[in-house]
Amino acid sequence: MNIYRRRRQLCSIVITFISLAALVAVLFPYFWIFLTSFKPPGLVSRPDVWFFVPSFYNWEDVIVRGGTIRYIFNSIIVGMVTVAISLSVGSLAGYSFSRFNTGGGGARFSILAAKMLPPAVLIIPLFLLMYELALLDTLIAIIAAHLTFILPLVTWFLIGFFDEIPRELEEQAMVDGATHFQAFYKVILPNILPGLGGAGIFAFVLSWNDMYYAMLLAGGDSKTIPVAIAGYWTFRGIEMGKMAVAMVAAITPVLVASFFVQKHLVKGLGGGGLKY
Amino acid sequence: MQFLRLPLKYRLLIPLIVVLLAVLIYPLIFSFWVSLHDYRLTALHEVQFVGLANYIGLSGKMSYWNALRNTLIFVFLAVGLQTIIGFGLALLLHRPSRFRNFFRAVLLTPMFITPIAVGLMFRFMLNLQVGVLPYLLDKVGVTIDWFSPRLALFSIILIDVWQWTPFMLLLLLAGLESLPVEPFEAARVDGASAWSTFWKVTLPLMRPVLIMALIIRMLDAFKVFEYIYAITQGGPGERTETILWHIYKVGFRFFRMSEAASMAYVLVLVTLVLVVALYYNMKRGEYRP
Amino acid sequence: MRQKRIKMGGFLAIVCLSLAMVVGLVGCVPAPVAPTTLTIIMEEVPDTDVVKELIPQFEAENPWLRITIEALPYAAMRDKMLTSFLAPESIYDIVIADNPWMDEFASAGFLEPLDERIAQTPDYDFDDFVGPLRDIGVVQDKIYGVPFYNYALALIVRQDLFDNPDVQAAYEERYGKPLAVPTTLEDYLEVSKFFTEQGIYGAAMQPERGYKIFEEWKNWLYAAGGRLMDAQGNTVLDSPEARRALELYIEQFETSAPPGSLSWGFDDALRSVAAGEAATMMSYNWMLPTLNDPDGPAGELAGKFALYEVPGGRGVLGAWHWAIPHNAVNKDAAWEFISWLTSKEIDKQRVILGGAPTRTSVMTDQEVWEKGFGREYYETILSILEDAEPLARGKRAEEVIEVVGTELNMAVARDKTVDQAIRDAAKQVEEIVRR
Repeated sequence: MNIYRRRRQLCSIVITFISLAALVAVLFPYFWIFLTSFKPPGLVSRPDVWFFVPSFYNWEDVIVRGGTIRYIFNSIIVGMVTVAISLSVGSLAGYSFSRFNTGGGGARFSILAAKMLPPAVLIIPLFLLMYELALLDTLIAIIAAHLTFILPLVTWFLIGFFDEIPRELEEQAMVDGATHFQAFYKVILPNILPGLGGAGIFAFVLSWNDMYYAMLLAGGDSKTIPVAIAGYWTFRGIEMGKMAVAMVAAITPVLVASFFVQKHLVKGLGGGGLKY
Repeated sequence: MQFLRLPLKYRLLIPLIVVLLAVLIYPLIFSFWVSLHDYRLTALHEVQFVGLANYIGLSGKMSYWNALRNTLIFVFLAVGLQTIIGFGLALLLHRPSRFRNFFRAVLLTPMFITPIAVGLMFRFMLNLQVGVLPYLLDKVGVTIDWFSPRLALFSIILIDVWQWTPFMLLLLLAGLESLPVEPFEAARVDGASAWSTFWKVTLPLMRPVLIMALIIRMLDAFKVFEYIYAITQGGPGERTETILWHIYKVGFRFFRMSEAASMAYVLVLVTLVLVVALYYNMKRGEYRP
Repeated sequence: MRQKRIKMGGFLAIVCLSLAMVVGLVGCVPAPVAPTTLTIIMEEVPDTDVVKELIPQFEAENPWLRITIEALPYAAMRDKMLTSFLAPESIYDIVIADNPWMDEFASAGFLEPLDERIAQTPDYDFDDFVGPLRDIGVVQDKIYGVPFYNYALALIVRQDLFDNPDVQAAYEERYGKPLAVPTTLEDYLEVSKFFTEQGIYGAAMQPERGYKIFEEWKNWLYAAGGRLMDAQGNTVLDSPEARRALELYIEQFETSAPPGSLSWGFDDALRSVAAGEAATMMSYNWMLPTLNDPDGPAGELAGKFALYEVPGGRGVLGAWHWAIPHNAVNKDAAWEFISWLTSKEIDKQRVILGGAPTRTSVMTDQEVWEKGFGREYYETILSILEDAEPLARGKRAEEVIEVVGTELNMAVARDKTVDQAIRDAAKQVEEIVRR
């Protein structure tokens, strides 16, 4: 009994230690960037200075004079539209792949394969295409580019969700007089709502994180936040203080949001989307 | 309006096909065409068909193969570490505890930060002179040059682990939560130890989720670009030259699009082989209780 | 079931709403209005901010012209400019071209020759731009770019250390000669080692692979008497001088640079000097005012830095030039702006506001000295500029820089011997140039 209890104690110490270590590993960089954003320019490159009189110089410069808020807004729009399109298009196609096994396993797999295309293959033709359509330097160009990797992934997730839904559900609806399509959007879709949510959040993250396409296809007022952050790394060096502000400004809304959505994300993705 | 008479299963696919045709298929075909030509952006009036010359020419390009090797090392080590750490943390967080939700929420955050910010952040924090981590390590008597030739790739891997272990954690946690309870109860009734329950029940049940997470993460890891862009630019020497960075350089900095396109297609081939292997592995070994 | 349907409806409504919102927002591309708008692609640097400050003045003088500046990070510029050149009509009316791009863009036919426009502009005085700067914009006897600002390399030192009697005495005792700011590579190495022994690293270097090490090491190459290419464009890198330059560079790195600085670029070196960790650095001449600014990165050390020519006296010259794309729509208006901004009068204002100088008349102007950073500073820059050599020339300069910069970095990392690195670099440069 004693040994058993001691083992349990040891176990819980180890677990606490690991949890704390993971927590520190994640939180310390945030803390340091936050600290840096309030440092006066002369102290930015002094790792030994932890206590100082906070300076709002960087904050004023970035938030008041720079366009950070606007760029965050741009990123949010791009993310939301990409997600909206991916979910609507992806759920239609996903349903078809799942219920009718359209194209067989090969089709399912090619959908996944589309995600592995290196962006370098796609960027030049996309650029020329956007030029022809006079969409360069607009958010539409970025959205189109993001669809290249987000739409296949979302579709792939959704196929898994649909697979989990028993066929009896829509069969019952059709017996009740609904057409197949009505059964799809009135009965099936509501049932995979958590999955749609999970896939949607995940897609949003992918879009929010992308710098490559956003950098090459848009700029100026259509900049997204990753491009704006990269912009603080100028020819004359990284303006670490200002970049820290932009990072804090960009990270905070997402962190807050992620706190609220993470439970649903786990639940949503767990609902079967991971099986195939 | 001929297509309206198509069966529903095809009609449902129309939006997907239209979107993918515009943003994916067309660029793909265009790129392939480019890879078969001598297509330099500074000499577009001299474009000519060269067949497979670009592909054959790759065999002598040591930088390319070096970049491919670096990328494979990166992918295997980074994704491997993420899987191990992620699985460990997922098992930990799966247990009921008071701070579980808080822990989970905090641990998942790194994946929500744009990679360019993560890269620049660590470039700043790992700098041997002005970085805070070397400063703290120095306090305890350890001096590590994170971006020295021997460690640079490894440091990039660690940064990737910092950012993307949460993703593994997320998928594995989702997988654990959707597992049926019966096999675990059966194991308990049989008096199996925690250790053997993990190997005999948890792991086989988790297999599809695990492989699926591996596939997604690997495909993303092949695209590592921002950290390289932000921190090493491929150096020291060519120690951290990764494939996407290399292709970007040849295509956009040197303007030799056809060479870049052929490199990209070889890369697609390599990833395809890996993914197919994993995919069939997953199909073959599905757990049937 | 009913409740679920409502939820679904809400979901669809959100989707539609966000779609509508985006279409609305994205559609807000400014419609062409009466005044002509000139779009300029620029880099996100302080020199661009200086230009932005001058724009209201231009717009007041030319009410029918409006200027839009698109400032980008360096890495994004080249791609965007190229794609704009390839389009039937250029997105940009004016571009700025970095030194290594000049020959490439001009010979691809991307840029508009400016000779006639320059000749027809009264009082422009093109010859007033410092010679080496002017020459970078000339490709095959035609002018394709006029100088915007320079980034010639110079030696920045901690003058207070060189002036300190204790340090001077210690140096004299050790080496038997007075301490002076080095003018040869051998002296530089010696002084750097000395400072390192004194507890401050002798030199913050920038051996980052590619552009950075190339830019820095080329100063060493010149000082050792070597060259990358001869006047006919033949590669002459494979030489004893180049090997000597690289050996000395590596020796300095290993004995006198801060440890762990193998991947340092110019910004890391700057931070190190600003933090008082290193005594000297080879860097852009206009970093001096930044370092001497009490509100700048150096903090308390501000005012203790001074500028000199690089050892050997022949520094690397980087420069940005204004140019007009061949496919630009408003070429006349574009030249209107360029010639206004680079005219003697406005250029003077630009330099007073903190822009890096390009015109001789501006650097010798009493008013500039008083309102700017003092006579000595501008005279030093003028003497640096007058015998500086362009960073790189030729149609494939971008690739040459990358390839040589990689080999150099490998040698510094001891991945390759000096001999092997120089040989490989020269071989690859030959191949690139021949292609």
